[in-house]
Amino acid sequence: MSTSLYPLASLPQIEKTPSREDGIPGDLEEDLRAYGCKLIHEAGILLKQKQVAVATAQILFQRFWFATSMKQFGIGDIGMGALYLASKLEECPVRIRDLVNVYDLLLQRKAHIRAQAVASSLASTSSSTPSWSELKYTPMSYFGNTFYDLKEAVVVAEMQILKRLGFNLTVVLPYNTLVNYLRVLGLTSREDVCTKAWGYLNDAPSVEARLQTPVYALYSVPTIVCAAILLTTRHLGIALPSAPENCWWELFDAEWEDLSSVCGWIMRLYRERSLEDHTRVMGMVAKKGVRQWLEEHRSVGGEVR
Amino acid sequence: MDAVEKANADRQKRWAKDQKIGEGTYAVVYRGRELATGRKVAIKKIKVGQFKDGLDMSAIREVKYLRELKHQNVIELLDVFSSKKNLNLVLEFLDTDLELVIRDRSLVFLPADIKSWMAMTFRGLEFCHRNFILHRDLKPNNLLIAANGHLKLADFGLARDFADPGYKMTCQVITRWYRPPELLFGCRYYSTAVDIWSVGCIFAELMLRIPYLPGESDMDQLKTIFRALGTPTEEDWPGHTKLPDYVPVGQFQKTPFRDLFSAASPECLNLLSKCLIYEPRRRISAREALYHPYFTSHPHPTHPSKLPKPADKTSATLPLEELDGNAEPNGNGPGVKANPPNKLKRKLSSDELSGGGRSIARKLDFTQQRQTVQ
Repeated sequence: MSTSLYPLASLPQIEKTPSREDGIPGDLEEDLRAYGCKLIHEAGILLKQKQVAVATAQILFQRFWFATSMKQFGIGDIGMGALYLASKLEECPVRIRDLVNVYDLLLQRKAHIRAQAVASSLASTSSSTPSWSELKYTPMSYFGNTFYDLKEAVVVAEMQILKRLGFNLTVVLPYNTLVNYLRVLGLTSREDVCTKAWGYLNDAPSVEARLQTPVYALYSVPTIVCAAILLTTRHLGIALPSAPENCWWELFDAEWEDLSSVCGWIMRLYRERSLEDHTRVMGMVAKKGVRQWLEEHRSVGGEVR
Repeated sequence: MDAVEKANADRQKRWAKDQKIGEGTYAVVYRGRELATGRKVAIKKIKVGQFKDGLDMSAIREVKYLRELKHQNVIELLDVFSSKKNLNLVLEFLDTDLELVIRDRSLVFLPADIKSWMAMTFRGLEFCHRNFILHRDLKPNNLLIAANGHLKLADFGLARDFADPGYKMTCQVITRWYRPPELLFGCRYYSTAVDIWSVGCIFAELMLRIPYLPGESDMDQLKTIFRALGTPTEEDWPGHTKLPDYVPVGQFQKTPFRDLFSAASPECLNLLSKCLIYEPRRRISAREALYHPYFTSHPHPTHPSKLPKPADKTSATLPLEELDGNAEPNGNGPGVKANPPNKLKRKLSSDELSGGGRSIARKLDFTQQRQTVQ
């Protein structure tokens, strides 16, 4: 934190996040973080928000969970707050009503899919992928309590993010750095390289992306960009000087250990997840779900592992 | 209490909040001090109860940019903490502002004094621009002056970073008298040149001791500008007739600077004219301005500590503070005192009301006299 403008999580914060302290297992936390980011991303698309604001929101969101437990705040509320705050930070504010409506729609869809999934797993008729096409969305009433409650939640979340991040709102996005590094490496002529590396940094709608991992709260931008280039070039079989003493990433002050760790974070996002895992996460968008889960697991196992 | 709450409480304990010194649409300003050192600070409490749609944009901008900017000529944000439901910004406390200095008829400005203020303004602005930040509300009462004479840019409530090329920005920024013609014509793509125009107006105001281009409405503002600087031709400012809100406002002849600023040196007028060039792209940049011969020619700028400053104000506040400290040596916890604690303070605030000696801290509360937001 001393040399860079943007804050990174400290080692103790990484080793024991507030959520893990509260008994939420690491993999569940990881899934919840990714899911919260996905919601921000989808909401951003529906709101036609600029990508910079969405990316900023996701990074703020990731940082938040190094200061706060998911038992205390829901990923849905904090996601809304992060997107709302980031939109102001990037000078493209959204209407609070639009944001609330979009999140409401997304959450209704998810609830629908979840209900379908649960039903189909009970009936054990597999292979019918859940979809929200049959969902009949009922918008909330204009002056109803639902709206005012959600609006209040956004305002509270915004303040909590500010407060818990110590009002450090500087977010550095990796895109410029990527372009520069690709230029230095002479890779800009390969369109596939640019697209793929950009995809690792960016959010391609179909691909669960990088901003869904906490790496932006853990590693410096050059390291993350190098990792994206590393993954890309290895995938496409492009040779870059990688033998000791002549490692290309050293040019950008990145360490091999960090690179492999970042790559690990990203690749973990792509791992196969069971339907059960998916529905489990969907049920925990609000802190109520998380608390309930903790209750159940405490009573069964005594000690949560 | 989790670690965050504790860290916040620890930070809050570093500062003592004393009496209220001003109030604006989105904040209340208190005078305060750092408990460990007794250093004076201004504490700006952002009102939360009035949240309609979360935090005000100006509050967010101020936190965002002041957290990043550290420079001798930019106001320093010392700390931020929240108390119960409020947001508190701890800013360095500055004695006065350039507007009060300009209006104080008892003060005489030497050319070297003006040069010193201009140098400090350009240094602060160059730092902002170098860090890709537009101030967008430069005017004399946003240029605060510290006890040691240093001038500092304040009020980042309208500041923003440079937009990506092709991204529209609002043209409803900068207090009217200091607003450049391209914004008055509704230009939505602009850059650092808008701040330079404001500095040019401040420069002229320092010499004239009255606002240089005081328009009564946006329309009148254009007329005032053209009356002073001549109606621009297509050659002076290519393409200006194509701007969104362009309207012809009549033909006026330029008044030569020499007629108005008879005592100014040639370098001085040269720099002034370069700040007030119509075509934004040809207007001087803050960096170029710092290298302008004006700053290296004789007389050299006055040392900040020797600059003229309103005298009565300082002598009036000094005993007050001493009395404050003596009367309640350790009675000022972080809690806010509910009642006006003594007569002297009341006297001070009545001074503020009478308009003659306006409170300094009201300057910290930037939204109040802004004419930009209509």
